[in-house]
Amino acid sequence: MNSNISVSEFDSGNTRRVAKIKDFLDKNELDMSPDIEVFVTIKDEEEMIACGGLAGKVLKCIAVDSSRRGQGLILKVITHLLNAALVRNRNELFLFSTPKNIEFFHDCGFNLIEECDGEIILMENTKNLENYQKKLTSLKKDGDLIGSIVINANPFTKGHRYLIEEASKRSDWLHIFVVREEASEFTFNDRISLIKKGISDLKNVTLHEGSDYIISKATFPTYFIKDKRQVNELYAKLDLNIFRNQLASYLGITHRFVGTEPYCKVTNNYNKNMKKILANPNGKSATIEVVEIDRIKFDDKPISASRVRKLLKEKNYEELVNLVPTTTYEFLLEGIKDDK
Amino acid sequence: MINSAHAGTLESSDVYIQINPIEGDKVEIDLSSSVAELYDDMIEELIRDTLKEMNISGVHINVQDKGALDFVIKARLQTAVFRACETKPTWGGTQNEV
Repeated sequence: MNSNISVSEFDSGNTRRVAKIKDFLDKNELDMSPDIEVFVTIKDEEEMIACGGLAGKVLKCIAVDSSRRGQGLILKVITHLLNAALVRNRNELFLFSTPKNIEFFHDCGFNLIEECDGEIILMENTKNLENYQKKLTSLKKDGDLIGSIVINANPFTKGHRYLIEEASKRSDWLHIFVVREEASEFTFNDRISLIKKGISDLKNVTLHEGSDYIISKATFPTYFIKDKRQVNELYAKLDLNIFRNQLASYLGITHRFVGTEPYCKVTNNYNKNMKKILANPNGKSATIEVVEIDRIKFDDKPISASRVRKLLKEKNYEELVNLVPTTTYEFLLEGIKDDK
Repeated sequence: MINSAHAGTLESSDVYIQINPIEGDKVEIDLSSSVAELYDDMIEELIRDTLKEMNISGVHINVQDKGALDFVIKARLQTAVFRACETKPTWGGTQNEV
């Protein structure tokens, strides 16, 4: 009776077929994700009965028609999604779904990273989180006040410097995580090396290379689609829950420092959620106090990386020089010379 | 010499095998099976023996078994290895050396 079942794989450029998937996901109360590159669908005759998508190294939008569940169709979908990922040399995969499917995907080789609000789960097909946690444990420092900061620093400004300096003064030890994802104007290597140069005088600081578990396309896809203003609270909450339950507890982090956010809606919303999620008891891990530090200003306007990027574009170096540390300014000048 | 490769499916009575090269000449096996309580040692032994026959080491093998019979597991593993080595198999017999 399965003889009319067919599986197909196609990319997101096929708008007619993508529209059909969107309808199918709607029926199954799932949202279409805009970053999916490859879709897998299963049809019985002409009727769609299951689908799934691959976005980077994340499997998502996996759905089976309610009348066809329990027939192992999802195994077909996952098999084809795995194949699609592996032929693209993506071996270390993540998966988004809903909590009722945890066990099921566990049987497909995925381990739970975090569950959030009974609505969303993130899983991975490796033991990378476990290994990362071991590494963090070895970097743990003693102290009453263990601070933390997560920054992108695109690029490193006097604002970042001020935030880190203040946090470092107030902490016995400060852990800084630099967002690893290459989704910014400046590369990860440039961003982290500018931070390193800009804070070399601070002695109670560990600079961590970010990971898939801190503001990455895996844990927080909508963070990187800012221009579309798709502020998805659920992803923000998931990211913060991972930070608190899976990472911060291994370093004994007690505080998280953030700069006030006057411009960016996504970041502003993230900061609001941060207070809610980190500071309230959740029965899983210790609470983390969120400390907002006012941004420093130049010319009565807050210093931000977006302002620096704008000035750079406008070639307004006279103003720019006031917003960034000398180390960053020298780096930017080199870039300008290279352009000429 | 060896690339990453995979073979099989996650469907019932089948097995999904991924093979990845690693440093050194060890064989690392991550096995998860719906019949692990009864057969995990046997499956692991089968995988090690098959790799030995084929002269393969320095690999990480990820096995998602859905209750496949032993010849299915062996065939899937051989296929994954051939794909990883980009060679054509000599089916039948035991001369499946690569």
